[in-house]
Amino acid sequence: MNDFLKKTLYDGGIFFDLTKWVLLVVIIIILVNSFWVSIFIVDGVSMEPTLHDKEIVIYNKAFSRAGKLPERGDQVVVKYPGDPEHKKYVKRVIGMPGETIRVYGNRVYINNKVLKEEYLAYGLEIDQPGEWKLKDKEYFLMGDNRPNSNDSRYFGPVEQRFFMGKATFIFIPRFMSIDPPTYNL
Amino acid sequence: MARKPKKNRFIGIYSRKLIFFGLLLVVLTGYWQYNSYKKISADVVGTEFAEESVNTQNINVVISKNGDYTVDGKSGGKLKTVDNFKELSFKVTDKPKQYIESLVVTVKLPEPVADATESKILAIHGVDTSFVKQIDLETIEYSAYGISTMATITVIAKLPKSAISEPFMTKVLDSLSSFNFNFWVIIAIILPVLTLIYMIFFTSFQMRLNHVDQPDHETNTPPMAIPPALVGVLYHQDVGAREVSATLIDLAKRKDIIILDRDRGFAFGKGRFDNRLLAFEKILLSKIFRDNITSEQKYIEERIANHLYSKKMSIVSAGIYSLATRLGYFRSNPRKVHAKFRLFGILAFLAGAGGFVLSYLLPYLPAFTAFFWVGMMISALIVAFTASRIPLRSQLGNEALSNWLSFRKYLSNSEPIEYNPEVYSVFEQYLPYAIVLDCEAAWARRFEKHNFVMPEWFLSDKAGLGMDEFCLALFPIVSYVGRSFAAIREPGFE
Repeated sequence: MNDFLKKTLYDGGIFFDLTKWVLLVVIIIILVNSFWVSIFIVDGVSMEPTLHDKEIVIYNKAFSRAGKLPERGDQVVVKYPGDPEHKKYVKRVIGMPGETIRVYGNRVYINNKVLKEEYLAYGLEIDQPGEWKLKDKEYFLMGDNRPNSNDSRYFGPVEQRFFMGKATFIFIPRFMSIDPPTYNL
Repeated sequence: MARKPKKNRFIGIYSRKLIFFGLLLVVLTGYWQYNSYKKISADVVGTEFAEESVNTQNINVVISKNGDYTVDGKSGGKLKTVDNFKELSFKVTDKPKQYIESLVVTVKLPEPVADATESKILAIHGVDTSFVKQIDLETIEYSAYGISTMATITVIAKLPKSAISEPFMTKVLDSLSSFNFNFWVIIAIILPVLTLIYMIFFTSFQMRLNHVDQPDHETNTPPMAIPPALVGVLYHQDVGAREVSATLIDLAKRKDIIILDRDRGFAFGKGRFDNRLLAFEKILLSKIFRDNITSEQKYIEERIANHLYSKKMSIVSAGIYSLATRLGYFRSNPRKVHAKFRLFGILAFLAGAGGFVLSYLLPYLPAFTAFFWVGMMISALIVAFTASRIPLRSQLGNEALSNWLSFRKYLSNSEPIEYNPEVYSVFEQYLPYAIVLDCEAAWARRFEKHNFVMPEWFLSDKAGLGMDEFCLALFPIVSYVGRSFAAIREPGFE
């Protein structure tokens, strides 16, 4: 056996012995972070008063794989369809596939019925009126801070494939679970 | 010439090991930091006005038949496969340095499929208007006006799959992407399970070939005069704590060392150190003693704790394996065979780790393939760990072991040994063999009814030790030293 191979075997053995468990633990952490549970820091005020700027939130990445579809009122983390590699947003699901969404006169209409949203701050003015017909696997997303949110009113409905996960728990500083709201529909 | 004393290393760890752990810490901390500050935008609508402006910008995108596209003649990237279509998603501008009055992107399709192509323009953060129009069957035009310096504009075209002739590799990657999450998780579980089953069957098959029946008779003398460590490696097929412990007692019995048990801790004293010492015994002694006549517990503990690994202990175990192989007890040197399996395991583990990293770094590899590499790494660990269980005894080794098992039957017999003046010399004589044959307690019990005479090579602070006290004092000492020394063998030693 030449010296190089001997040295490789020797150093490889040491490296393997020192790192095998550490590497596996790191890989398990990466896998869990990539495919099951992760955290994010809220950057901005478009989800006020539900999520505050700089809050650390836990989100569930496995919810859509479990056969469950996003529901109205879920706060979801999505990749912005126009720049999925770099821009990720947290917004609330307002419109479901197949529905017609109309934003008009400070109100949101789902299939011509007014959507009552109790989590919104009183007296909000909703600009950017419009009407959107959602196709299969398309969702209409909006921020809770309607005057200050860049959402589906601007970039259109978002396909389900851009969903990354569902915000489930505000970890820091409030330490509270995120419960789904109830609607009149 | 006097040997120059070795410099004390920083906290007893070799510098390269310190560097290694330091780097590991940096990587872990970096990952934690990255994760901590990964931000998800609760994005607000924003516009910003620049003093300078550009009147018009025209961009030409051409999609070729193989799925590549160019932007103004330069390579732009590849179309992605999404469900049943090929998607062009081209970010035209992101926070431009100047206000742009109008932007027109013309996309040339590879075939006249504009009618079947779904197209849209995503314009956010300060764009007055944007729209898409079909120019002809092969051309789509995307336009945006009043573009602020905060804007992001992306054009999207979803072409029918038939419009693109994909290269073979793209088809393979697309096929891999079509498997869902559960498929890859199952692969990650099945791979190690299959490896484990294979290794169990392979080892069981070898064990059946090497099976040694329990003898129906006992012999009251060792079948041959070989060092206890060799009997141990024949019995366990490994050099472990018991082989080291038995060697220490054997050395003591031969008056090469003295074992001291004192209130302030144990110690080893140098005995005669004659020429009859075997090479591996000399190295083991050099691990215990340096230039001192007695080696205190504190000093031995320092020698164990100072280094993560000990080359000397690797040489000790290599010496025992070589001797046993030379005597014909093994078909080939177990250390070398196990090293080959281990090498295979290490290479597979590192390949798996590399593949795992690549599955994250290369965007065109499906993310779920990471599970395949994890499965490969766990399989590699299974190979590396189970390799040492593969039996390699030769026919001669099996016969020798059969004889030693007859002797073991004698050692572990529950009948007390009949008294005679030499009884304790027999106890001492066979104690190392009892240790490597896993029956030292049973062997000691055969003498418990006789008055105990302490061996010359064991000195204790306490007076009038009986057999039980002697065993309770000796066994923990040799077992601790044996276990610690056996554990610090270098894993990569060859």
